[in-house]
Parts: sequence; structure tokens; C-alpha cells
Amino acid sequence: MRIALARINGVRHDKNIVSDPIYREFDAALVVPAAALLLLSIVMVYSASIAIAEASRYTGHQPAYFLIRQAAFVGIGLILGAIAFQFPVRRWQQAAPWIFVGGLVLLILVLVPGVGREVNGARRWLPLGPINLQPSEPMKLFAVLYAADYTVRKLADLGSLRRGFVPMALVMLLTGALLLREPDFGALVVIVGIAMGILFLGGLRLRPFLLLMALLAIGFLLLIWLEPYRRSRFIGFMDPWSDAYGTGYQLSHALIAFGRGEWFGVGLGASVEKLFYLPEAHTDFLLAVIAEELGFAGVAAVVAMFALVVLRAFAIGRRALHLERVYGGLVAQGIGIWIGAQAFINMGVNMGLLPTKGLTLPLMSFGGSGIAANCVALAILLRVDWENRQLMRGVQL
Amino acid sequence: MKFSESPLLSRLVPPRRGRVLLLMLMGCFVALLARAFYLQTMRNDFLQQKGESRYSRVLELSATRGRILDRQGDVLAVSTPVKSVWAIPEDARLAPAGLRRLASILGTSARELTRILASDKDFVYLQRQVPPDVAARVEALRLPGIHQSREFRRYYPSGEVVAQLLGFTGVEDGGQEGIELAFDAQLAGKPGSRRVIKDRRGNIVEDVESIRSPREGRDIVLALDAKIQYMAYAAIRQAVEEHRAAAAGAVVLDAKTGEILAMANLPTYNPNNRGRLSGAQLRNRAVTDTFEPGSTLKPFTIALALDQERVRFDTPIDTRPGRLTIGNATISDSHPNGVLTVAQVIQKSSNVGAARIALGAQPEDMWGMFARLGFGEPLKLGFPGEAGGRLRPWQHWRPIEQATMAYGHGISVSLIQLARGYLAFARDGEILPLSLTRLDAPPPGGVQVFSVRTAREVRTMLEMAAGPEGTAPKARVPGYRVAGKTGTAHKLAGGRYAERYVASFVGFAPVSDPRLVVAVMIDEPTVGGYYGGQIAAPVFSRVMGGALRALGVRPDAPEQAVHEAPGGQSAPPAAGPAAIRISYPQRGLR
Repeated sequence: MRIALARINGVRHDKNIVSDPIYREFDAALVVPAAALLLLSIVMVYSASIAIAEASRYTGHQPAYFLIRQAAFVGIGLILGAIAFQFPVRRWQQAAPWIFVGGLVLLILVLVPGVGREVNGARRWLPLGPINLQPSEPMKLFAVLYAADYTVRKLADLGSLRRGFVPMALVMLLTGALLLREPDFGALVVIVGIAMGILFLGGLRLRPFLLLMALLAIGFLLLIWLEPYRRSRFIGFMDPWSDAYGTGYQLSHALIAFGRGEWFGVGLGASVEKLFYLPEAHTDFLLAVIAEELGFAGVAAVVAMFALVVLRAFAIGRRALHLERVYGGLVAQGIGIWIGAQAFINMGVNMGLLPTKGLTLPLMSFGGSGIAANCVALAILLRVDWENRQLMRGVQL
Repeated sequence: MKFSESPLLSRLVPPRRGRVLLLMLMGCFVALLARAFYLQTMRNDFLQQKGESRYSRVLELSATRGRILDRQGDVLAVSTPVKSVWAIPEDARLAPAGLRRLASILGTSARELTRILASDKDFVYLQRQVPPDVAARVEALRLPGIHQSREFRRYYPSGEVVAQLLGFTGVEDGGQEGIELAFDAQLAGKPGSRRVIKDRRGNIVEDVESIRSPREGRDIVLALDAKIQYMAYAAIRQAVEEHRAAAAGAVVLDAKTGEILAMANLPTYNPNNRGRLSGAQLRNRAVTDTFEPGSTLKPFTIALALDQERVRFDTPIDTRPGRLTIGNATISDSHPNGVLTVAQVIQKSSNVGAARIALGAQPEDMWGMFARLGFGEPLKLGFPGEAGGRLRPWQHWRPIEQATMAYGHGISVSLIQLARGYLAFARDGEILPLSLTRLDAPPPGGVQVFSVRTAREVRTMLEMAAGPEGTAPKARVPGYRVAGKTGTAHKLAGGRYAERYVASFVGFAPVSDPRLVVAVMIDEPTVGGYYGGQIAAPVFSRVMGGALRALGVRPDAPEQAVHEAPGGQSAPPAAGPAAIRISYPQRGLR
């Protein structure tokens, strides 16, 4: 480790300067937008859900039903994040395969009748007392941790398709099969995307990689075409107005919400679409409510904050790689890929750029598992950054 | 150090790939911004229009129904806002305690509510037209799935007194009977409309614009005088109870204008609580039912003969032996009268005398008179279900029919038609169209049925009929000179005359300058006699006396004495009332 420190020019090695103020210990350009997204999430989930919560007897007609829960989820996420932050990146790397195997076990448990819980035809939840765990959400984080570890281990072999790629492909096939049984196609896309992205970053040979991407694309299209409900969603996305009360119902209402918002929105709380028209307004289609109530200004702010988070994740990753901390670097960039890709897909779906699929908006959509997994991921990102800073000050880790 | 933690590995990581991936993601975000910009600032009109078509609704704004007022402005019918309680059964899963409380507030049983809420419809009424205080208590329960909406309830302060004339409205506030139906167009007003935004469950969340403001219903001012109406109602009610009659009716007309000041019917109903109603209660029988009027028609027969100068008031008519046989039918008087003058035929109400006089007329002339009086066809008051009565075409009359029509059989009229006919005597031979609504000036369109002289002569005879020597001394009103005629008609049952009667009295007062016409009809009295003079005349007296005093009409016979009429505009004719009064009995006995 001495060598590494010596290689960095202009960094003071004086151990007396460790006690910098706390804000210097964290990346404000990451923390501020992430915190802003979480806070906005609480406000917008409340706004989007207030009418349905009050009208539904499943919520006991409490208008604040979802507000209270989302606030609790953010609180739990912050606590879990604080705990996650305590573990050195090295520990995460050591535990990554086991964590991933644990995630696979959870995905299997979900499918066991009597253990997994089925809602609207999808087995995605494990009931844990008062709350439900959705294993596919933490599985995305586990995939980042595992794929980074795999890539680091296979770094020398990535030039070879057989030794470098095939083992990972098999793991992904297994994971994918489990996710498709739920079914949770959105999670599958994100997890495969994370794995491929990290392998790509690690140096997987470009030509087979591109070939593989093409194959994957064909595979996904086939999966869409063979499953009637995915196909109808896909066609609905192509022209939502041709069957606006059928397959295009949800998207057409999301688009109407965007159109009503104009530049600065109809005002916080004034959305009409959330009044039972737009399904999933507080989960998958939260952005449409933001678009209606806060207008293009609100949407642009959300996109910008996600862009900042992704930029910082890649910057932290790049610095970690400069500091020759390959695992931390890949994890940081993997988290960037995850947050960025999932945010893009969710927002693209909201705007009719992408076919409708059940993916939440990271850090924003209502849901405990997702918020908690996002918070832990950001905590790990901050840990990587924190370790970078320590190293740059010459602190021995 | 493990291999995987070796810093040397970092050299194997291609440095530019991270930037490529980041660039791709940023490109995606830029695409999102572009798409959002397009949707929100360029395509917004199209999208908003699509949205409008889904949740913008045009809302009907109900217009308040106009009131019905009497001529003094007293309210006879008014719409009061009430609530209706409805539910979305799917949402209304009530705890047993809540269900019981709701049931007790609504005055129903929990079992009944459960039955209604078991419906698989999206919308059910639990109770309509709920009073505001009950609605407020239901609201206070804050039960899920139980909603309220505003509607109107028609309230009739005068209750059963004016029930059949006013009629009533349906639950949708539309006129169904009576005045409510006849004047529905004015009363109902025009609903307005507003554009609103509704959520998917139909609740209004935003008021966008007013398209058309509602036009409130107009008030209808009736000719009716609530005070006189009440007197008429109370009087027939007393008679029906006293004589155990099946039904009764009374009509009061303003002889100066043809306005209908009162129209009371029995049996009646409470329009504010219409539970089980029979047709008999609902009928405004003064307008919708016809009956054979009997002797009340005799004055018309006499008037025609006087008009045609076939007889004079003092022409002797031989009614002996109290019977008259035409073909194989026999007309008889209740008791033989001998030789009577024409005036005495009215006074004593001789069937034989009236028949003899009538047989001198051409059927065509007699028919023409009845037709001019408005018999045989509806009055076209605008009241629903008006009856015209029976008046057969004269070409087919047989002598016996002409003879019986002379005293009111073989012909049928409604009470209002009969009362209107008497306007001819109260108004110097002219009858007026009747009006349900208050008039500011007498209406045009009067018809001169008899000459002035004839009308005044008959008026004098009718005064005698209501006098001490006539058939209806009980019709007299202290302080006023009264004229009128009794009627006692057998009722037809299965084509034959049965031992059931309609007792009636039609008259007017004050004789010196007639102001009111009152017609009273008591159907099937069973106790205390059945003659018009016994049963109907006292009712007439009460109604007429009360009405004259209520209107402040100057008495023309202050001391019950016989002297000349106080000098009204109409000077008495050559054979003035006083002169006739004194001379008739002597001449008649001749």
C-alpha cells in the first residue's frame, strides 16, 4: 500500500490532518441531490397517494397511509445505510459471493408456495411481520457487489470468452430464470444490465461483447413477444391512443399528466390524474404526477439530480480505480449504472419512450425494499468515496 | 495480500470504458429531458384535450322549482332542499355498529340496509328526500362508501286542503298531477350547466366554467284564495262527516272575473306524506268527474224559454197531476204542485213544469244553449284530466230525453262547468272563461248566452228558490241576498237509477250585484236526508257567507228585510227583484 500512496502527487502524507470537518468527509455533490430526491419522494408519494389512500378501505381510509410508510422506509433506509457505511469496501468484496447466494435463496423462497406472497398475479414478496420484503430489489445491489467481485477475480481472463464470460452468463441465466418465474421482467433487465455493464467496464473483449448485447436484445424481444401481457404492453407503448382505454390506458394517462403540467405544473397537490385515473401513481408512475404538479421544471430537476448522482458515482469509481482500488471502483460505477439505468427506464416508461414495465423510480417510488436497497447502495458508494479520501490523505486503511 | 486486492490489477481496467458508459447514460438523460420538453411544452394542447375528454364533464345545475302561491301571496307549494343518501355498495362495508346507527337515523332496519348494500350495482339509493337534520347526522357518522347529494322536496303547507288542485311532483321534481303538471313548464325552470373536472369516481374536484346558468322556475300565482279554500274545505268536510257521504266538492268563482277562488274535494290526501293513495283521493272531482246535475239545470231551461219569449215569468204552467207521461216513460214531481207560474217552477223545483216548458223548445236551440254554456266539452282550463260531460247531439234527441234534460237528467256536467253556467245568471246573461291563475283584469272572451232581461228575471226566481218559500231556505246568508237552485239527482248504477243521490246547490250572492258563484256537490249522503236543500244548501250558506265576509263584500240585506237593492251600477229591471218578490205568490196562486 505504501507504493500506492507514494504514487499520488500533491497529496500530503501528514497524518495530523485527518481531522477535517465532517462535510469534507462526504461528497456533497452526491449527498445533496440524493437527499433531495428522498425528501421530494416523501412529498410526492404523499401527494400522489392521498386520494387513493383516503378512498381505499385497505388503507383504513387514512390519507397519510403511504406518507407515514414512505417516511418510515426512508428512515429505515438511512439506518441501514449508516450501518452499511461502517463496513470497509474490502469486507463487502469478501462477502459479495455469499451475499449474492443469499439473494438467490431469497428469490427461490419467493417462489415457494406458502412462503412467497402473490399480489396481482406476481410472486414478488416475502411477508416479514408488518412489512413485505421484495428480494428482487436488494438483489440488484447484490448483483453489483457480486459482478464487481467476479470481474476483479477474472480481470486477467476477461479477454477469453469461455473463462471470462461464460461463468457469469450461467449465473445470470439462473438469476434470470428465477426472476422470470415471479415474474419480474424489469428486475431481470436491470440486473443483467448491471452485470454486463460491470463486465464491460472490467475489459470484456468488445466484439464478443457487442455480439452478446445483440443476442440479449433479441432474447429480450423474444421474451416480450412470447408473453401476451408483455406484448400488449409493448404495443400499447408504440401507440397508446389506438387503444387508449385498453392496453394504452396507463400510458395515455401518464402522457396526459405530462401535457397538463406544462412549464411549471398545475401546483403541488393539484394533479387530477392521481385521482384514480393514473394507476400506480405513487409507485411506478410517480414521475407523471411530478410532471403534472411541478411541470417541466420539476421533471428537469429530477432528471438533473439523477444525472448528478450518476456522475458522482462514476467520478468516485474513477478515482477509486486511479487509487488502484479496483473493486471499489467497479462497485461505485456499477451503482451508477444501476441507479442511472433504472431511473432512465422508469422515466422513459413514464414518458412513452420505452415500453411499460414494472420498474420503480430509484430513491423516489413508494416501496420499502427499493428505498432501503437504494440507501444501502448510496452508503456503499459514500464508503468507497470516504476510503478514497482517507487514502488521498495518506491514511492507511 | 490476495490477488484480487492487488493494486496492480487496476492497470488491466480499460480507462476509457467508464467514460463511454457514463456518456451513454447522460445521453439517455438528455433524451428524457428532450422528451419531457416535447410533451410538456409542445404537445401539451393535444394531451390536455385528451385529458379533458376523460375527466371534464358537463354538470347539470338543477333550477329551483317555482312556488305556487295563492292570490294573496300565501305559499301553497314550495321546494325545499333536501338530501338523498346513496352508497357505493363495494365501498360500504360497514361494521354492524355503524350499520345499526345508520339504520336508526334513517328510520329503517339494519337488515334492510344490508339487503340494499348486498347489491352488485355501483350505485344504490339508501333513502331519498332526507330532511337536512337527518342528513347532517348521517354525515357525522362518516361511514365509508355512504354519500349524499342535493335534491329538492316539494312541500305543501296547506296539506290536504288544496291537495287535488295543486297535484304533486315526482321524485325527480317534475309535475305529475294537478297545477304542478299543468304549469310544469313555468314552474320547472331550465337547468343550467357547468363544466367541471371529476375524478374517476365521479366526485367534482374542480369547477372550470359556467356554460349556462340555470333559469329558476317561475312562481305561479293562482286565483285561489287560501282563506276561502279553507272555508270550502271545512264546510264540505263537515257535511261529509255529518251525512256519511262518499264524496263532495265545492267551487267558488269570482263572478266579476271568472277566477276560481276555491276548489275543494273530498276524499283527499296529505300531499306531504303520500303513502298509499287511491284514485278517489287523487281526483280533483270538481273538474275531472261529471254527474247528472238534476234540478240545478232547470233555470237554464226556463231562461231559454224566457229568452225565446215562449213564456213570461208569470205564465201559468199546469203541472197536474204531478206526473207527465211521454211515450212509455213518466216524469213525476216529488209532490203534486197544481198550476204554477214559471217562477214557481223554479221555486218549487217542479220536474213536470220544467219538462213542459222544455218541450216547447226546438232541440237544436236547447242544444245550442247547453253548448254555449260550455257543457259537453272540457273547459280547457289547462288542468289535466278535465272532463267534458255528456251532451248528446240534438239530431238524435227523443222527446223524453229533451224533457228529462230540462231537469238535469240524461246530461252530465262537472261541478266547475255547472258553476260557470251560473255566471250567466250572476252576470246579466254573459259567461266568462274561467281562470286558475290570478287575473289583473277581467278576461276577454265572454259569451252572451241569455239576454240581460232574461238573466235578471231568472236571478229573481233563483232568489225566491233560496227564500223561505223555496226549496232551499237553508242556503240563506245573514246580511246578504242569496239566489240559487238545489239539485237532487238519482245516480245511475248499471244503466238504471238507483236509490243513491247526488245532492247539490249552485247559487250566487249578493243578488243586487253578484260577486261570487258557489257550487256544492255532496255525493251519496246516507244519513240525514239526501235533498240538495237539506244537504248541500247549508254548505253553500257557510261557504258563501264566509267568503263574502272574507272579501269584505258589502251586505245588501242588512236587516233580513225585504227592500230594494242598494243602488248598484245595475238598476233593477222593470220587474225588479222587490216587485217580483212581492207579486209572485199572489199571481201564482191565481
